[in-house]
Amino acid sequence: MANETDVQAGEPGKRYAFYPGCVSKGACKELKTSTELVAKHLGIQLDELREAACCGAGVTDDVNPEMTDALNARTLALAEQKGLTLLTQCSTCQGVLNKLNKEVQEDERKRDRLNEVLADTGYQYNGTIEVKHLLWVLVDDAEYGLTRLREQVKQPLDGLRVAAFYGCYLVRPSDLLGFDHPHRPTSLDELVTALGGEPVEYGGKTKCCGFPIQMMNPKNSFGMAGTHLADARDKGADTMVTPCPLCHLNLDARQPDAEGALQELGKGSGRLSMPVLHVPQLVALALGYDARQLGMATHIVSTDAVEGKVAAAGA
Amino acid sequence: MPEPITIRVKRFDPETDAESYWQDYTFEPPSEDSTLLDCINHIKWFIDGTLTYRMSCRSAICGSCAMRVNGGGQLVCNSQYRDHLDADNTITVEPAGNMPVVKDLVTDATGFWEKIRAVDPYIRSDREREAEGEHLMSPEDFSNIDDASTCIMCGACYSECASYEIDKNFLGPAALAKAQRVVHDTRDEEQGPRLARLSEYGGMWDCAHCFACVQACPKPVNPLYRIVDLRNEAHRRNFHDNNGSRHARGFVDIIEESGWLDEAKLPLKSVGSLKEFVTDLLPMGIRMGVKNKFRPNPMHLLPGRHHPPVPKMNEITKIIDKTKAADPADNE
Amino acid sequence: MIEHDVVIVGAGLAGQSAALAAIAGGAKDVAILSKVHPVRSHSGAAQGGIAASLGNEAEDSVEMHDYDTVKGGDFLSDQDASLILTESAPEMIYALEHMGVVFSRTEDGKIAQRPFGGHSSPRACFAADRTGHAILHGLFEQVVKHDVKIYSEWYMLSIIVHDHGCHGIVVMNIDSGEIEVIKTKAVMFGTGGYGRIFQTTTNAFASTGDGAIISYRAGVPLEDTEFMQFHPTGLYRHGILASEGARGEGAYLINGEGERFMERYAAGMMELAPRDIVSRAEQTEIDEGRGGEEDGDAVYLDLRHLGRERIMERLPQIWQLSRDFQGIDMIEEPIPIQPTAHYSMGGIPTNVDGEVVYDEENTVLAGYYSAGECACVSTHGANRLGTNSLLEACVYGDRAGRSIAKYLSGGYEERPATPQVFSDAVAQATERADRVRAMDGPERLGDIRNDLKVAMTNKCGVYRDEGPLTELTDELREFRGRYARAHISDRTRRFNTEFLEAVELDHMIELAEVMVAGALARKESRGGHSRRDFPTRDDENFLKHTLANRAEDGTPDLTYKPVKIIRHEPVERTY
Repeated sequence: MANETDVQAGEPGKRYAFYPGCVSKGACKELKTSTELVAKHLGIQLDELREAACCGAGVTDDVNPEMTDALNARTLALAEQKGLTLLTQCSTCQGVLNKLNKEVQEDERKRDRLNEVLADTGYQYNGTIEVKHLLWVLVDDAEYGLTRLREQVKQPLDGLRVAAFYGCYLVRPSDLLGFDHPHRPTSLDELVTALGGEPVEYGGKTKCCGFPIQMMNPKNSFGMAGTHLADARDKGADTMVTPCPLCHLNLDARQPDAEGALQELGKGSGRLSMPVLHVPQLVALALGYDARQLGMATHIVSTDAVEGKVAAAGA
Repeated sequence: MPEPITIRVKRFDPETDAESYWQDYTFEPPSEDSTLLDCINHIKWFIDGTLTYRMSCRSAICGSCAMRVNGGGQLVCNSQYRDHLDADNTITVEPAGNMPVVKDLVTDATGFWEKIRAVDPYIRSDREREAEGEHLMSPEDFSNIDDASTCIMCGACYSECASYEIDKNFLGPAALAKAQRVVHDTRDEEQGPRLARLSEYGGMWDCAHCFACVQACPKPVNPLYRIVDLRNEAHRRNFHDNNGSRHARGFVDIIEESGWLDEAKLPLKSVGSLKEFVTDLLPMGIRMGVKNKFRPNPMHLLPGRHHPPVPKMNEITKIIDKTKAADPADNE
Repeated sequence: MIEHDVVIVGAGLAGQSAALAAIAGGAKDVAILSKVHPVRSHSGAAQGGIAASLGNEAEDSVEMHDYDTVKGGDFLSDQDASLILTESAPEMIYALEHMGVVFSRTEDGKIAQRPFGGHSSPRACFAADRTGHAILHGLFEQVVKHDVKIYSEWYMLSIIVHDHGCHGIVVMNIDSGEIEVIKTKAVMFGTGGYGRIFQTTTNAFASTGDGAIISYRAGVPLEDTEFMQFHPTGLYRHGILASEGARGEGAYLINGEGERFMERYAAGMMELAPRDIVSRAEQTEIDEGRGGEEDGDAVYLDLRHLGRERIMERLPQIWQLSRDFQGIDMIEEPIPIQPTAHYSMGGIPTNVDGEVVYDEENTVLAGYYSAGECACVSTHGANRLGTNSLLEACVYGDRAGRSIAKYLSGGYEERPATPQVFSDAVAQATERADRVRAMDGPERLGDIRNDLKVAMTNKCGVYRDEGPLTELTDELREFRGRYARAHISDRTRRFNTEFLEAVELDHMIELAEVMVAGALARKESRGGHSRRDFPTRDDENFLKHTLANRAEDGTPDLTYKPVKIIRHEPVERTY
């Protein structure tokens, strides 16, 4: 096992404009930490866009689409200035930025209109960059890829049953994203397999975690999270893994509420006790890092069982 | 001749079956460019006449043939079978979701039609009919209702809708798209009351923004985008007294303050009452505080900025000001 | 037994218009019954437009519209009907617009209009390329608003005609499979066309002519069924409609050699000649070896010069259809198309008030109404102009509805119909249903249906000839025999669609017989009926409507009735 305090630096590889997203700088700091750790280990170079604004998370365009588009166009322009593919480890940021990116690439009038807004601040976006999620970079051999990742695995996740939770923004709408199958995605499951874990099939893997309506309809929101968690539990998953910190907030931080909602909805009772990992945390475990380096102690649902299972696999 | 394929169908006959079961049909499709419906018809006409489903126009306009293909709701008439083959040369077909099954792939869409009716899906106007001629409507006004009015009411969106699945009180994607088509129709004169009703529980703010309807929609309706249109309109017309609106406006305010999200502050801006604060936020706040996920900041209860702005905040402010200047709605 | 004052069978433009008009006229108890949900009706597939001389884009008049319609119909139109149609058009469009139907607009906010085949002015009002859909859904909004009773997915098995009056219908609730009588004071058929008897057709699977044959079997003749319209631009091999609106917007037709061949057939109007002329031109190009695609059976619709923006604004649906079904982007490439069975000019004979008439003297059958494609009023004569069908369905559906309201409030008399009449009707329908569900022969329904369609396309298609038509007459007799030996595997009652398809096939075979009999007897070429052995119009002998009555032995027995010629004497038809 790797030394707890050391992060091994891999051969410098491809460079990305890194857009961590607000949640990984706030309530899910462990996500940013573990992403940076994994990137460093694999030699994925992250050039953080520190001056980028929040993407709006698909919320701000409910009341101010003009502002949302303009700020996101600026973010894309920041990456374009560096000539780098934009990488984020947040599904929602990815989805919001990709949607605008495609619109701007296809609709010249929209591009001109936004550039007009950006002109005063000296930015211009020409539609030349791509937006990618960390998961895609890890899976796609044209980026980093599973072929290389497999070689890096030091602590295979043998016997760890992992329920991949894709959620929404990573797979829909598929004609805009074009990476994975919208109903039967495989990328995250392939990643789990590559790390030595065992993917679990369950019903809710591409459904909504409920996060966006947490404030509007808590019962529905937590009911959604609870349904998927219970589903994964019933299929024998040891842990869930998600590529989106917003999903993580609803699936992990709100898990006690989800238990309550399930009861209220008459969908069964009992503890869910389902640890929920971020994608880079799962990868880092397989690379041999310790849970403490990955901020797992900040999770609401204990990840001890996962750690135990991984340790047992290595023993 | 095309290679043989297998279509795996979820079957159920109410007269003979206690529960549904899977049946595989393996055959050579009629031709290389057959649609999935052509293949299903081939089964019915030449292999098994008992297979039951709805279809009619086979050109994506009647809306009869929505079902689940490889796990997602869609029409079966408007794409070729080759686009759906999995690694085993198999296509899985099930009845549409979130509706009771009548027989095989036929579902009972009563609930769907009730939702459509619930939005009063017709123009309301007290205005005297002008004696002669049409109401004038600019091409721009037409374009605001163009996409929503292409809806064929196939129900594919309800099959996949996350909010409808968990709560049948939700009006759902097609009905909200229909509502948008009426709200934005310049001939309608009841936008206010409509938006008020649509802002309530079960309405536009209960949509979880999951894109399932956009994925399923065979037309350019894309119900989620129409729901966002409704939210925009509700905001423009000051239907602000609900958590959805407070949440979105609070989010914008925070970005205006610091350029990035202050997650600890946003929920406080979103709740409408002390009760909600106590029941919905406090336990989570304590949980997260204990785990050191965030530090509660009493200052959040006061107006103003409480976390550091992103570098070059001045650029962000400048851009926001410019979008405000461009939007007449914000200058009222 | 269910009872309603009025039952409208069919919920497309004609049916829903009639229901709304009957209610507006004071009818209290109106129900709509359809084998599909109302918005699934085939009216929704109409794309290009609905005609009215609004003059929003160019000078126009009712007179011009009227003359275009009659000339387009090769002078077989009844001119009282065509004048009512064209006079009522502007008012009808405004009524639709006021009720909330969505229309594309001109820069100054009026209803936009585009050119269409055979029309001398741009008078097709449209909603992009989904005009039928826009009107169908607009009418349905009103049906919801007025809370009209809907029997959705109920199938009509027969109409009860007794003592020169109509007393109701026998229906099956598709969901339960139960057969019931609906007793009525008035019945209206807006049951649509029967293009499904051809191999390549724009028509929905539901367009099997049920209403027309049920009427025919009840003793009402069918009029002018030999006039079948072949649409010039069905997507090659799929038959899916690619709107004439494309040519209205300026698209070209080119043959396999890349030549704009319409020059040779209609140098004046070119691609915008009426459909019968364009389809014959295409068929001639194909027959003479200038077609395209592997088997040479296609010509091409070329939209490239219209540009992306125009196509996406005005023709987005057909862009998507051709991309989804053919894998072709029409912005970049011409799309292969072919003449495709599209519209039945003939049908159930009616007068201009939508009342069904059953003999050469146009005697009214009390309490029975019809409008839309299943009916023959006859505004379209031997060939319908594009955009006149939606108009006809709305105008004559509306007129039928008003007539019904008037009939209920004034002319209706309780006619003697003993309970026996109803119980006999149910017994007959039940016996038939049981017989169909028990069919246990060696023939597959799918094979019979396919063979029927191929035979009709090959021998009663764009061009017809005595030899093949005579052969076809014999073959159709064989189809009846094969049908009697057919097999059905779903013997359940609930939602038995195989049963429905079997009944529909029975209707289709009989319709083919009626059409072929009319085509064989009409030894001339006129509009949608073109005989190679009689290539010209023969006004001396055939300026008349065919009436086919069902004889005792079930075969069609032909008589004729005169055409109403009022303002426009027949002249040679050139474009």
